[in-house]
Amino acid sequence: MSILEYELGNKPGPPDFDRVEVDPITLRVLGGAFNAIAQEMAGVLFRMSYSSIIRESEDLGAGIFDAQGRELCESESTPMHIGSLPWYIRGFLYRLGDDVKEGDVIMHNHPFLGASHTPDIAIAVPIFVEGEHVGFAAVTAHVLDVGGSFPGINADAFDMYAEAKIYNGLRWYEEGVLNEDLDRMIFDNVRTETMNRGDLNAMLAACELGRDRFVALCERYGIDVVMSAAYEWMDYSERMLRAEIEKIPDGTYRAPTGWLDDDAQNRDVRLRVETAVEVKGDSITIDLTGSHPEVPTGYNVPFEGSLLVSAYYAVRTVLLDEITFPESVPQNDGIFRIVDVIAPKGTIFNPNFPRACFSRFCQTQRVVDNVILALSEPLPEQTTAGNSAGIHFCSYSGFQEDTGQYWIYLEVNEGSYGGRYGKDAMDSVDNLMANTRNNPIEELDMRFPVRCEQYELRPEPAAPGKWRGGMGIIRRNRFVVDGTYSCEGDRQTDPPHGIFGGWDGLVASCRKNPETSDQEVLHAKVTGIPFSAGEFIEFREPNAAGYGDPLERPAEMVRDDILDGFTTIEMARDAYGVVFTTDAPVTLNQLGVDEDATERLRAKLRADRGAGSLTTYYEGRELPSASAPVSQAGNAAFGMS
Amino acid sequence: MKRVGVDVGGTFTDLIYLDDETGKILVHKLPTTPVDPSEGTVAGIVELTNEAEIDPSTLDQVFHGTTIATNIVIEHNGATVGLITTEGYRDILHIARHKKPHNFSNYQDLPWQRYPIVRRRYRLTVPERVLNDGTVLVPLDEEKAREQVRKLKEAGVEAVAVCFLFSFLNDEHEARVAEIVREEFPDAFLSVSSEVLPQYREYERFSTVCLNAFVGPKVATYVRRLEDQLQAMGVKTGVHIMTSASGVATAEGAINRPVNTLMSGPVAGVVGGIWAGKQAGFENVITLDVGGTSADIGLAQGGRLRMKHLLDTKVGPYQAMIPMVDVDTIGAGGGSIAYVDQGGIFRVGPRSAGAVPGPAAYDRGGSEPTATDAMVNLGWLLPEGFLGGDMEIRPELAETAYREGPAAAIDMSIEEASMGAVEILTHSMVQSIEENSVRKGFDPREFALVAEGGAGPLFAATIAAEVGTPTVLVPPYPGITSAMGLLATDMVYEYVTTKYQRASQLDRASFQASFEELEAQARQQLEEDGVPDDRMIIQRVCDCRYLGQGYELRLDAPSGDIDDAWVEKLSADFHDAHEREYTRRFDDVDIELPNIRVRGIGLMPELTVPEADKGDGDAQRAVHHEAEAWFRVSGELVRLPTSYYDRSNLRAGDRIEGPGIINQYDTTTVLPPGFSAEIDRFGNIVMAVGTGGSAGAAR
Repeated sequence: MSILEYELGNKPGPPDFDRVEVDPITLRVLGGAFNAIAQEMAGVLFRMSYSSIIRESEDLGAGIFDAQGRELCESESTPMHIGSLPWYIRGFLYRLGDDVKEGDVIMHNHPFLGASHTPDIAIAVPIFVEGEHVGFAAVTAHVLDVGGSFPGINADAFDMYAEAKIYNGLRWYEEGVLNEDLDRMIFDNVRTETMNRGDLNAMLAACELGRDRFVALCERYGIDVVMSAAYEWMDYSERMLRAEIEKIPDGTYRAPTGWLDDDAQNRDVRLRVETAVEVKGDSITIDLTGSHPEVPTGYNVPFEGSLLVSAYYAVRTVLLDEITFPESVPQNDGIFRIVDVIAPKGTIFNPNFPRACFSRFCQTQRVVDNVILALSEPLPEQTTAGNSAGIHFCSYSGFQEDTGQYWIYLEVNEGSYGGRYGKDAMDSVDNLMANTRNNPIEELDMRFPVRCEQYELRPEPAAPGKWRGGMGIIRRNRFVVDGTYSCEGDRQTDPPHGIFGGWDGLVASCRKNPETSDQEVLHAKVTGIPFSAGEFIEFREPNAAGYGDPLERPAEMVRDDILDGFTTIEMARDAYGVVFTTDAPVTLNQLGVDEDATERLRAKLRADRGAGSLTTYYEGRELPSASAPVSQAGNAAFGMS
Repeated sequence: MKRVGVDVGGTFTDLIYLDDETGKILVHKLPTTPVDPSEGTVAGIVELTNEAEIDPSTLDQVFHGTTIATNIVIEHNGATVGLITTEGYRDILHIARHKKPHNFSNYQDLPWQRYPIVRRRYRLTVPERVLNDGTVLVPLDEEKAREQVRKLKEAGVEAVAVCFLFSFLNDEHEARVAEIVREEFPDAFLSVSSEVLPQYREYERFSTVCLNAFVGPKVATYVRRLEDQLQAMGVKTGVHIMTSASGVATAEGAINRPVNTLMSGPVAGVVGGIWAGKQAGFENVITLDVGGTSADIGLAQGGRLRMKHLLDTKVGPYQAMIPMVDVDTIGAGGGSIAYVDQGGIFRVGPRSAGAVPGPAAYDRGGSEPTATDAMVNLGWLLPEGFLGGDMEIRPELAETAYREGPAAAIDMSIEEASMGAVEILTHSMVQSIEENSVRKGFDPREFALVAEGGAGPLFAATIAAEVGTPTVLVPPYPGITSAMGLLATDMVYEYVTTKYQRASQLDRASFQASFEELEAQARQQLEEDGVPDDRMIIQRVCDCRYLGQGYELRLDAPSGDIDDAWVEKLSADFHDAHEREYTRRFDDVDIELPNIRVRGIGLMPELTVPEADKGDGDAQRAVHHEAEAWFRVSGELVRLPTSYYDRSNLRAGDRIEGPGIINQYDTTTVLPPGFSAEIDRFGNIVMAVGTGGSAGAAR
């Protein structure tokens, strides 16, 4: 039972189950029903929950699993959540063994026993059919606070015990009866009791609904038919993915070395990320050997609940893209069976117990980004240029005298996608494994003492390419009471990587009180920074990289880019080689391409130069001002200048 | 009552007349007049009232469903819209909720970025900012606003949306900019967020308000013309338009908030399909309404309409935060154009030849190959069997369109290319039905597929075989099912006001006053519509949630005075409703009431239709033609001897074995080999779905 003896990444293998024949229509109906149950569970969770990180951002996952944790289905919420649930289940079963009874409600967040990270708490309810334990209905969701050293986010925690209270297969309810002392222990030790209680109740309701729906399916079609169909669908997904892997020429494909900013304490040490993708026949291995040793902060990655999930995600998304791949392939255990991951023990991707690993998202996103870059060699038409592959995930908090609890607002600041074959990138959107919703500004301003004073595309142009990179956002948030700010972020030094002649992107930045006399540049990862009422923060998220030679972009498209503010006249000249008939300030719809001059300039540029980098282009320059009237009025209201 | 239902689709305008006293029913159909659809609507009413031998001024109700707004969104051919918004927040429409539609795709499009309702160049900002308590942080810069409005005017936009943060708490800045727009640019269609949708959540509000501007000019022009022309011909009641929530809007309401009519036509189709299903004994129906341009798919279990959740209410890919019946619209119809793309992929739709220029075979200027032309080539549509001869079909033109189009491009026979086009279109409808049925956990084997619209019965058999519904129901007049739906629904108006109060501290007097005010509005509207007191129902509705939650449940509220007992009853009802919806209740948590609503319902007489004549069971009497037609049987394209029936000569109790083609005034029903059909006592074709061969199922 010692945590040190737990075998990491141990998949249960094929199910030991005598399948019955399922006719094709029933198979499709049940496949649809599984999916519908997962969606319905997620729907209950986000509609009923209290915290905005769940109900507005949908930072949650829901699904149905067999008794060994094989996934039958998952909700279309945030991809990071679901592939992790099978590992949570195996993790708490390591603690509980066979001691799982009808009516139990299990709570789990142990990062060395399958959890994605400690604030993503799982609630699981066992499903019994005719007295037999056949599976689990389970959800994970990000709760506001788990009693770590600082409210909300703890990127620099000393160890696992400092980052959170650990729930290791706890039975919140035993056979339907609330475990009252445990309940007190759980909710007395978090800063946001009311919110956590509301959210955990919603999670429980979602699980109970999933369980009841699944039991009803079994009563109607028979447990044998239902489980047979479930396993057929897993085989189907595995078959489809293997067929696509088989099409890639055997070989080892490497991404350029990626660099993470720092570990949240040692600011001058960047962390190395090495990624090789090995394809052999219909199997694929992601090898992270050579990546940085584990760090003494919370910037390590739980191997099972986070790293494996990112590998599944990367491979599936490139090879079975939901839009370009003609068949709809469900996400289930079949996808997870195939992908192997090597990360040597003692590196940031496979840390030793009890290292802290509260903040792991940016690192796993970089693994996905690197896998995509590595595969751009054999699959140029299925991959993208370098993505933002990072976030600023931040916590705004303070103590409320009237309730005796903290207020905590968690925010995910989105990135952008790299350019892609045949079309421009997606701007200002949650990137790769992130797929949360933003919190409406009007919701934020009304519920929290934080005011959003700017939220739009950042003023710098998109990374040039035949197909341009995506634009990131600029966002300014002001504390209107005294409070504390923490953040886990990255990508402030190493820009998204351009491919096939496209430019590298533009790095992120984070500043406190920008364009005032108190301006301060912040690291991406900070913990417990005090903000006085009136002080504010600005994020600029990366402009992702371009795909293909910008000289091949039609001049008319560059003209449109200027009119829409996606690029500038200077960038059109320097990167795209496009010259206009007027240098006068652009008014709407008045801008003509000088075709002869463009042709001459493009010929010259073609001879002169290779791909550029937006980050280099802006090096040493002041960031273009973005100080809107709202920001200035906000400064004035708080006496800042 | 004498009532008319008019449903304007992309291709045809369908009308039904009903006299509730005598039970007389007349139906009528004519081509939609796309340049000004009110022409067709008015002409139809004239022709119909002539046929009924009544004066238009004696009509008690004209109830209208229209897909005009929907088609504008789907074909993305609305007005060029400019947006004036708060400086510092230019890209709310571009960022949306920063969530991708699909988790596992790097190659998806974000429709709000790739096909924006307002291009970024037309999103201009002005300094202003209202705070979360309605106070002003940044005063409106009126000069800047004026400058931006002029810029939009110069750039040639046709509609202007004004969307500021927190305008639902303080509308002064928006109102002032609206005035400036009226001064500087009076011709622009104006859509102001505090008027159109005074509700919080800025992205959803801005998107809805800009959609309103996008469809506004065309819808307003249309409704105004229609109202004027009806008045000129003596219709006294004015026109009522079905809303997306299956309620009604007056002409004035539709002009001011065209966004509420976005799903008007499709919703009428679902209501009509439910009615047709109930009449034939099927409580569970999937409704498939295929017209010339688009196909609408709905699903009702137990005969009940399903509403979408407020955050799922979209039109096409665009968010519209308005109450909406759950119905899905895709760009697939009889006019969908078949083509081979640059990469050699055979595609059909979403581009449609519509009514003008129409399919090649109609010889109205169209020459591109459409799905209708494909069916002509397969022998399913006869030159003489359509519209009772009103509209001629020229098969040689359909053949040319396919020979020179897709057949040449991919080196196939004309029949193969034609069948391919039908199958591709069928496949996209099958996918949409699956998304709305099996993927939501409904078993299609427990449902009947109701084939509606001019083209629904042409596709229904093939689709049913693929989806797995055992029965296809083809109502007596499939083309006018939507119009029928208009007469099968009650008049429902909904009025809302924002209260934001807690049950524990409820201001009883203010609630009483607000409810009474809304009730008076509802009553007045119904009185204007001539609804007598005994046919009037006034209902109270409260949006409720536990304090701290973000989403509300809609709850029927008690009537009577707002006193302690009222609050207690409402609270108890909410705890029960929450438990029903989410399996849990929290009796000691306070309840928040963001909005209260009043629904005014004018009950319409029940829609009843006469039974069909009973026959001797032998359908042979109805056969008017024998010929060979093409079908797919076990994967092979074969030519089979086929009987063509005149539906007007079919009688209750008749049985038909496929292959057969059933012709009638407004549509054609295809009965593939292996299928059989029986005529029920109301004249519905009840088709038993075959398993062996089908029109195009075996791919």
